[in-house]
Order: sequence, then structure tokens, then C-alpha cells
Amino acid sequence: MSSAKIPSPETEVSVATSRLERFVDAGIWGSRIVVTLLTVFAAFALYFVVTVPLAFGQQLAFATICFLCALGFRRLQGQYATLVMIMLSIVASGRYMFWRLTETTYWERPLDAAWGLLLVAAEVYATLVLLLGYFQTAWPLKRKPLPLPADRSQWPTVDVFIPTYNEPLSVVKPTIYAALALDYPSDKLAIHVLDDGRRPEFKTFCEEVGVNWTIRTHNRHAKAGNINEALKITKGEFLAIFDCDHIPTRSFLQICLGWFLRDKLLSMLQTPHHFFSPDPFERNLGTFRKVPNEGELFYGLVQDGNDLWNATFFCGSCAVLRRSMVEEIGGIAVETVTEDAHTALKLHRLGYTTAYLAIPQAAGLATESLSGHIGQRIRWARGMTQIFRIDNPLTGKGLKIGQRLCYLNGMLHFFYGVPRLVFLTAPLSYLFFGAHVIEAAASTIAIFALPHMMHASITNSRMQRSFRHSFWAEVYESVLASYITAPTLLAVINPKLGKFNVTAKGGQIAKDYFDWYISRPYLFLLLLNLLGFIAGVVHIVMYWHIRSEVNTTILNLCWTVYNMLILGASVAAASERKQVRATHRVTMKMPVMLKFSTGRTLACETIDYSEGGVGVALPSKLEVPMHERVTVSLFRGDEEYAFPATVGYTEPGRVGLRFSQLTREQEYDFVKTTFARADAWTGWSEGRRPDTPLRGLSHVLLVGTRGIAGLFEHLYSDLHTWMNKRPVDVKKLKTKDQ
Amino acid sequence: MKVITVVSAKGGVGKTTLAANLASVLAARNRRVIVLDLDPQNALRLHFGIPLDSIDGISRATLAGDPWQTVMFDGVDGVTVLPYGAVIEDDRRRFEALVDSDPAWLAHSLQSLALDASDIVIVDTPPGSSVYTRTALTAANFALNVVLADAASYAAIPGMERMVDAYAAPRPDFAGQGYVVNQVDQSRQLSKDVLKVLRNMLGTKMFPGVIHQDEGVSESLACDTTLIHYDPLSQAAADLRACGDWLLSAIDAMAASSRKLA
Repeated sequence: MSSAKIPSPETEVSVATSRLERFVDAGIWGSRIVVTLLTVFAAFALYFVVTVPLAFGQQLAFATICFLCALGFRRLQGQYATLVMIMLSIVASGRYMFWRLTETTYWERPLDAAWGLLLVAAEVYATLVLLLGYFQTAWPLKRKPLPLPADRSQWPTVDVFIPTYNEPLSVVKPTIYAALALDYPSDKLAIHVLDDGRRPEFKTFCEEVGVNWTIRTHNRHAKAGNINEALKITKGEFLAIFDCDHIPTRSFLQICLGWFLRDKLLSMLQTPHHFFSPDPFERNLGTFRKVPNEGELFYGLVQDGNDLWNATFFCGSCAVLRRSMVEEIGGIAVETVTEDAHTALKLHRLGYTTAYLAIPQAAGLATESLSGHIGQRIRWARGMTQIFRIDNPLTGKGLKIGQRLCYLNGMLHFFYGVPRLVFLTAPLSYLFFGAHVIEAAASTIAIFALPHMMHASITNSRMQRSFRHSFWAEVYESVLASYITAPTLLAVINPKLGKFNVTAKGGQIAKDYFDWYISRPYLFLLLLNLLGFIAGVVHIVMYWHIRSEVNTTILNLCWTVYNMLILGASVAAASERKQVRATHRVTMKMPVMLKFSTGRTLACETIDYSEGGVGVALPSKLEVPMHERVTVSLFRGDEEYAFPATVGYTEPGRVGLRFSQLTREQEYDFVKTTFARADAWTGWSEGRRPDTPLRGLSHVLLVGTRGIAGLFEHLYSDLHTWMNKRPVDVKKLKTKDQ
Repeated sequence: MKVITVVSAKGGVGKTTLAANLASVLAARNRRVIVLDLDPQNALRLHFGIPLDSIDGISRATLAGDPWQTVMFDGVDGVTVLPYGAVIEDDRRRFEALVDSDPAWLAHSLQSLALDASDIVIVDTPPGSSVYTRTALTAANFALNVVLADAASYAAIPGMERMVDAYAAPRPDFAGQGYVVNQVDQSRQLSKDVLKVLRNMLGTKMFPGVIHQDEGVSESLACDTTLIHYDPLSQAAADLRACGDWLLSAIDAMAASSRKLA
């Protein structure tokens, strides 16, 4: 129905082959009259389908048929089948919301009304975000890189900016080395380390390796100000920005710059932020590389969807900007704490285009503790809210409707705090106070609400399967909800509230511990739900003879159990696992030669590498004695680089080699042959089990169960420690530079 | 039958070892491989387990008028070996005079073996210019020049190129020459630099990899065998396998193109 308006003419969608696709891509849809007529007809049809009243049996039959259709379309390949599933989901959700708003919002008691209104508002929000999400990601553009001209003299000049403030040199070094290793004519490339910390050791290092060390006299506007200051003293046609711990691959500039030469209006091209170390969720829940992390939905799908609408967000790092256009908007935006998103908004307002390439061309360290992770998300949420307040994308000049909606979703998304808390507590209103928040029989709720949820579930699972497994959003949001609510609400009231936090990176967690401080909200909610559960069971026992009471209580109990398990997963995320390695191992198979002190050699493959060494698979279960001195040779094309190392770990068929003191040259060579490889981060998600809603659900519930079990273990051991009069140190997070 | 002549301008570049190991690699690719030693040092046979006190070889057989089949040995890895043989000084001079006087001697002798089209003969030669190198190049379909990543090897390349041009290049059945850099140790900066220069100069004629320096090579000779046999897991063995595949694709491409011409 709505597919007529999706493939916009200026996008390069894949070549249609089937008769259906040829029909859908036919020129007739380009006609304004046809589109208008069809849109009016589709809107009318949708209105009819959503609002027509159906009796219980009829609604049940309609919902069943729709869902069976959706299941059928799920078996088909291609984006058009996805669009049909989206439409069916919109119908199911539309019918549910229409019914919900028109038939269930008459409350008898003030208490019911209070709870009921909150829940309805949360549901309206959730549905709105669902619909906006469909709009945003209906047709990911999947842009491919364009090659630069063969004649290198036509390549533009580029400044690489590496802003840093207080990160230790050891964290920034690989990024600087990788910038030096970029495959780009050296006379057209200038590398600048923008050191807001003005540290002498950075100056020395930059001089030694031959990059510019740039400072300013103040730290106004943090990173944005830092970049703007550097803009004044550089003059390359383009600027590539890397956070100081985002290590670019050698191909970064060649991959990214092609589109700028083709599209003269292109102002910014973003690539994914890829992390080679586990974020706190991945580490504490044991899901690293198995389940897509929180950011993958955004960089895998949302940005690619934004790209269709020319609404790619700038994310502050791993991106290229055209200098003239950045200068035209007065440099990187400084009005909010998310300067990056605001900068893109300003560029869009001037009619410039943006682009997204979903190829990881740089990688960095994820935040290492949950508290740090939460701090970062609070900043994003606050910043996006600030933009919403001071430069609202729904109003003002220059934006197309698609862009406005993408920005709206980008901002609305961060208001999930309150609705999430409402969902986590809604059944309690009934279990504790007997509040009837939805004025309907349990079975009627089921035939309207279940289709809404099930359609949303299978449709999102199809659209997001590689980037977000089903039900994991609930976990990610529940962890953040308690923390994100206040800052977003405060920023709505007054955008000036709050200041810029820099997230500590490259640290280690000395031993396993449970972060009682950060998990207080989840523990509180968990306790409430537990009490609610008990109350519900008691209620059932007492009112066993009233069937409707029992049914409603069971419905609420199921919801409570689900909430408890989601909270259990949140609790598990706060159970910090030991992270002893200061450097992270990156799994990568590549040829390596070992040369022993006897002069004998071995041809092997690496298992992983880190800044400190490599893990090597030995053929035929060979064993190498500990502390043996070895020369490790890594290859980059024809070139070979040898590094001195000693055996730090050994088992049959496997050896861990630790580098001896490397020279500057060798450190550079090592980054060049590992982190900076063009193919370093492709194939990151290989070997993952594909998502299905039920598999996602059972995984989340399993994690939740383990989280609750783990909570009791921690409770026992920490109480034990406390009884023995040892003070519990909640701050065991150490960063390397301390 | 494809004749690969292994040459080098300088001594001590590991030419004999390379010839032996490449023969072993090609044999492992299910090709019949005959190695022919045209170097009076008579050392090639040692890689294939032929006893040190054995004196038979093509020099003696040729002088005595015996067929070469009588001095063929079955070596390790399924390689057939034709040793040079042990001869006294006078006989060696007579043999060299005979070889020098008849440019087609080697080709005829190889014809007498009645080999299949896909069989490979690898001819090892003494370093530099000699009657043996000359005659081996005259019969060659492919010349493999072994060099080291050092200045002396680099300087000697044009001389060997002139020999190849004089004796092999004019023939239509000569496919060209290739270069292999042997005994490379890239932890030394000089090796790296020379390698870069060689790559620029030789381009596609050069085997894209290198043969790494490896103690296992000399150890394998001490054990009367090839490195492929002695230490198959070593980097040098991996390099040799890659080099063998490169060589095979070069001579098979030649076979394909000559068929097209016919």
C-alpha cells in the first residue's frame, strides 16, 4: 500500500530483476498525481482497517489471518516482503492503539486513572517510536564506496584530526601510528594531534614520529572547540576526525573520499564506530561477538536507513567532513554536549547531503565499566534533548520531511526512560492496589495486544536480525532507563543543565565485583516486582472462585515475571567481570612466521593479537618451551616485519608470544600489520547464530535467571566479607595511567 | 617434458638445495620429476638419500656410452635422480669437451628418456658461466635464477640475463625466466632494502614471496634429505611450496599457450 513512496528516484537501489520488482520500480510511480491519489487511497484504507469495529471472534480471526500472512511473507527474501510485513505490523499496532485509546480509557477511580494514563502515554510513545523506526529503517541504502580517480594528483588534500584531552599516550599511540600508515599520498595528508591536555610527552612523541602537535590556550567547548581551533590553522580540503582511541585502517581515506568527488554537495561521510574490546554488557553477560552489542543497531541499520533520507548523523569520530561546508556553519557545533549530531543537523539545514558507509574502517576501545557506559549514554541523551530544545528539527528551515522524522526518532528514542520504568512497574499497580489500569477483560486485551506485540517482534527481528537480537533492546534500555530519565527531563526543562564528561578508556578491572551502587535502581525495581509477585499469588489464592480476578492476576503475574527476568539481566550487567588485560586481544587469522634461536622457523597462523603480543596456533600440536626467545614475522602484502618476542604462554598447538621492548619503528610496523589492515574488522559478526524472536527471548530470559542467581551469590559473599569487618571498596576501577 | 634450468651468477646462494626442494614440491603435486645434476660437485644427489660412496652418474655413463637409464636413482619424495657422478680430472675434461662440442647433447639425451609431456626435468648447474650452464640453458624451457637479497647478487643479475638471452631466449619453446630470492632474513634492514630494489627491478618475473633463511635447510642436508621431507612445517618449506606452485603455473601456462599456437 505504502510501497509507492519508498523507492525515491535519487537513490541507487539494487537493480530490480523480478517482474514484481520491475512493476514496483516502474516510472509510473514517479508521477505526482498517481502518488497523491494512491497515498490518499492508502490513507483512507488504513483508516478503515484500523478503526473498523470487530466482535471478539472477528478480531481474533482477522488477527490470526494477518499474522499468518506475516509469517508467510517472512519466508520470502527481499525488501518488498519486509515492507509488507511492516504494513501488517502497522495495521496490528494501529488497531490495538485505536482500541486502546477509544475503549479502555474510562477509569472508575482516580488511582486507576493515574496509573492508566501513565501506561497509555508510555504505550503511545512506544508505538510512535516503533512507527518512526519503521519509517527510518524501511529501506537501508547500503551505499557502496566509490573509488578515487586513478590519477593520484587529482586526490584532494586531507587533514587528520586526533583530538585528545586526558587519555594516556599508550591509548593514543596506535591511532597516531595508524594515521601515519594511511594509504594516501604524503604530500596531501597532514596529521594533527589536538592535545587539549598540553602534555610534554605528547609533544615529544609527535615530534619523534613526525606528526603535528597542536594545542590552544584554553579548553572552551571541549572536543568541538578543540577541532574548531585546529580548523583555523589548517587548510586541507577535507578533515577526517578520529577519537584518540579509534584506530583507522590503512584504506580509510581511499574508501571514504570517493563519494565526495562525485557528490559536490556532500558535506559529511560517517563510517561505523567499531569496538574490538567488549563493552560492559558484552563482558558481564558473556555475549561478546555472539549477540550484537548496543551500538550495532545504530551503525548497522539505523544509519543506513537514515542515509536513504539524507539524514545520516555525524557521530564525532571515524568520519570525513568537507572543510568549506563546516566553516560555512561556523565550525563544529558547540551549543550542546552532542556537538556531532548538531553539526550534521546544521549541515542538513543548509541543504548539504551526508552519507553513510557501513564498512568498519576504524576500531577502538569500548567503555570498560558499566558506570562509564551509563555516563556516556547520559551525555548522548542529554545532548540530543538539548538539540530538541534549542534547534528543534521539526521546525526551522531547510529540512525535508524525511530528515525531520529521522531526527525526531533520534531524539525521541532517548526519552525511553520514563516509558521503560512505567512498563517495569505497571503490573504492580494491579497487584498491590488492585488498580484496573486497562478497562477490559484479559482475553480482549490479549486479542488486541498480542498481535501488536507479535507483529512488531517478527518484523523487527527480520529488519534488525544482524544488528540487534530480539528482546535485547529491553535489557539495554532497562539498564539505562533509571539513569537516563532525569537528565533528559532536566534538559527538556532547561537545556543548559549538565556538563561534558570524558569517558575513561583503556583501563582494567582488578577483580570480579558487584557494583551495588550502580545497580541500586534495578535492585529496588526487582524487589518491588518480587513483592508484587507474592501479592499476586496471595490474591489468586484468596479469590480463587472469581474467574475474572484470577485471569487478570495471572496476566499481571506473567508480566511481572518477565519484568523480573529483564531486571535480572540488568543486574547481571552490573556484575563486573574481571578484566585483567590492559590491552585487548583481537581475534584475527593471518599468516605469521616464528623463528627460533636455533635458526629454525615455523609457518603458522595467528589466533589473536593485542598491542602487547600475538597468540599463534602451532601446527601438529607442537609445543614450545616457556620463556623461549622467538622472532615473530608478520606480513603486509609483500612486506614482512619482524618483532622480537618471548613465549609467555604455551600449550600443545598454541603459544602466546609477548613482545620484548619494541622500538618506535617496530611499534609502528606492528600497528601497520594488524589494526591498520584494510580487512581488520570485516567479518566481525561471522559465526553468529541468526536471530529469531523466540531464540532471542529465551536467551534474554536465561541471562535474567542467571543474573538473579548471581545476585544471591554476590549478596552472600559480600555480606560474608562485611561481617568479617572488612570495608567494601566500591571503587575498584583502576585506569592504567594511575 | 618441461625442462627447468636452475642457475645463479654467484656461488653459495643455495641453488642446489632450492633445486632439490622444488623437485620434491613438484613431485608432491603428482608430477613425475627428474632432477639432473650438471654440477661436477655432484651434491644434488645427497638431498635424495643416495649414498655418499656411490660414483655412478651421467658423466661416466655418457663417456662409457651407456644409456642414462642405467644411472637413474629413485630418490626420496618420489623424485628420480640423475647424479653427475664421480670422475677423475681427465675424464671430466673429456666430458666437458664432449658437451661443449655438441650443443644438442643434452636435448638428445633427455629425448632418449622418452618422458611424457607433463613430466618435469629440473637441471642443476654450477654457478656462473660454464659449459654446463650454457648447455643447460640451450635445452631449457624455463630458467630459474636464484639470488640473495644482497648487493653482490643484485650486481650479478645483468650478466646472467645476458647468458639467458644468448642461449635460451631466441628459442620459441623457451617460456622465460624467473627469479627467486633465497635465504632472506627480514629482521635485517639491508635485506629489506635490497628486496625492495629487486622487486622494483624484476617486477612480475620475480616469485612474489621469498624463501626464508632457515637452519632446517642445512640440517636436512646433513640428514640426506630435502627440507620438505625433514621439516614440512617450517616457513622455508611453506615458501618452497608456494614457489613450486608459482613455477608450475608458469610452465603450465606455457604449455597452454603453445597448444593454442599449434
